[in-house]
Amino acid sequence: MTQPVIEARKISVSFGAVAALSEVDISVERGTVHGLLGHNGAGKTTLVNVLSTLVLPTSGEATVAGFDVRDQGHLVRGRIGLTGQFASVDDNLCGRDNLVLVARLLGASARQARSRADDLLAVFGLTDAAQRAVKTYSGGMRRRIDLAASLVGRPEVLFLDEPTTGLDPPGRLGLWQIIEELVTSGTTALLTTQYLTEADRLAQRISVLSRGRVAVSGTPAALKARVGGASTHLRLAVQADTDRAVALLAEAGFTPLPGVGDESVVLPATTPSDLATAIVALEREQIAIAEVTMAEPTLDDVYLAVTDSPHD
Amino acid sequence: MLRPPGVTRPDRTAVLSSSPGANGSPEHWTGARVHVQVKVLCGRTLRILLNDPQLVLFSLAQPLIMLTLFSQVFASIANTASFPPGVSYVDYLMPAILVTTGIGSAMQSGVSLVSEMDNGLLKRLRAMPVAPRAVLLARSLADVIRTAVQLATLTVAATLLFGFRPVGGVLGTLASVLLTLYVNWALTWIFLALAAALRSPDAMQMAGSLAMFPLMFASSAYVPIEALPDWLRAVAVVNPLTYAVDAARALTMGTPVGAELLAACVTSLVIAVVGMHVATRAFRRP
Repeated sequence: MTQPVIEARKISVSFGAVAALSEVDISVERGTVHGLLGHNGAGKTTLVNVLSTLVLPTSGEATVAGFDVRDQGHLVRGRIGLTGQFASVDDNLCGRDNLVLVARLLGASARQARSRADDLLAVFGLTDAAQRAVKTYSGGMRRRIDLAASLVGRPEVLFLDEPTTGLDPPGRLGLWQIIEELVTSGTTALLTTQYLTEADRLAQRISVLSRGRVAVSGTPAALKARVGGASTHLRLAVQADTDRAVALLAEAGFTPLPGVGDESVVLPATTPSDLATAIVALEREQIAIAEVTMAEPTLDDVYLAVTDSPHD
Repeated sequence: MLRPPGVTRPDRTAVLSSSPGANGSPEHWTGARVHVQVKVLCGRTLRILLNDPQLVLFSLAQPLIMLTLFSQVFASIANTASFPPGVSYVDYLMPAILVTTGIGSAMQSGVSLVSEMDNGLLKRLRAMPVAPRAVLLARSLADVIRTAVQLATLTVAATLLFGFRPVGGVLGTLASVLLTLYVNWALTWIFLALAAALRSPDAMQMAGSLAMFPLMFASSAYVPIEALPDWLRAVAVVNPLTYAVDAARALTMGTPVGAELLAACVTSLVIAVVGMHVATRAFRRP
């Protein structure tokens, strides 16, 4: 319908002889989240740095909110918010002063700045900590004040560089909810993450980066279909039963693999009903199971699946 | 338009919306004018300084200790032949103490910039519509204000404790302090350029000292340049600090001031312009 809000064409970045990004294409529609999935060193942060004008691309073109990142950096910077793994705020100032400072630098009057700061503090549950220096904040609070600081100017485009790394589960959930609310209200977001579940939950489209290249991109559903479902890890109560269990499970139609310990077996790509079948098969032969865990596919599984088959 | 505080919670959707809301929220803010950014950032630096009483105390104590040591240790040279007759050493020394206190602050400015580059705020500013020169100008101006307080304290202490009674009187001393502030603001750019290029606290300390001590000692700050060995005198003659100290000294001592004031102003301006250019370029580098 409209021009993509983020568009990168053949972006390459080299640091000396090292190619951090090679001909990366990306296109993000307004009001959507684009997930950028990859391990450390895959080039996620470099791409975010290029699109947020912190790093000039060696070659290629990119526009953000309609402006060229190379020639119109100042205009791009006026329309984006960037929040990362490390809180980019002033530790020595209190939470409220940090937000007021950002608002003033963006051009708000002193009164507008205070009002915007108080609104954001309330939404992020930081009103009680507003007057405390940020250095006294917990990890989750720091992440929230950092995101709040990125939102002061109501950015059209939000770059979220591993925003939940190191957060506890409630903290992660809270951040996810806020990101969803932001996108519902029209913000466009580029989210980098190492977690497939996070990209799955938040993103409408995902690009998987591997060694500076886009290995695959598509919807989360398409990606998961390629990876397959969760895998089941069974730990047996008695180690001597392992060989018998493997044989029984193979008979029941599974492709059992050796697990972490001698007494464990892994069944790849299992659904909950597969799991029931496996347990019944073992119980019938009186093989006691000590522990059952189902693991979501990991980034490694994605890489494995992606490198197994050529991308679309 | 403004809510009474604490009465109603703000509407989440309106606060998080990327478009300016209906409830009187302003248009998009896409960057303040540079002079506003300088003012805001300068205010922030000063506020942090004031929040740290230890830093305030040490900033004030350090020049006082220098004054005490120099006035006691070097007082004996006031009797040597090369020293201007009829001048008390503290009156001679004071302008030098002012100028060298200033250069200490100028170096401190670079050290502060390096340590701030690790601070998250500077990272955020890079991705914001904030001009790099606004960040650097704010830093240099905040340090000039801090230096002004140091110099005022120093002058009062010298008058009350060490019998500082310059012929130039209050006006001469004031002019000398202002000149010192200007020269040191200019020298600050050497250290800001070093800081922006080096970005390592250790390297900055070393490079800063390497730049600072020759500036201080190969000058007319502590002894008349006629008393220096030839090679040091050659350095002192091209050292902008010599002109600054000479001019400050002429102002405080009430002697005619002319060429050295102009030389001090011109050399400082050159240093400031070149330093600003180099510092801004180096700072822009990610």
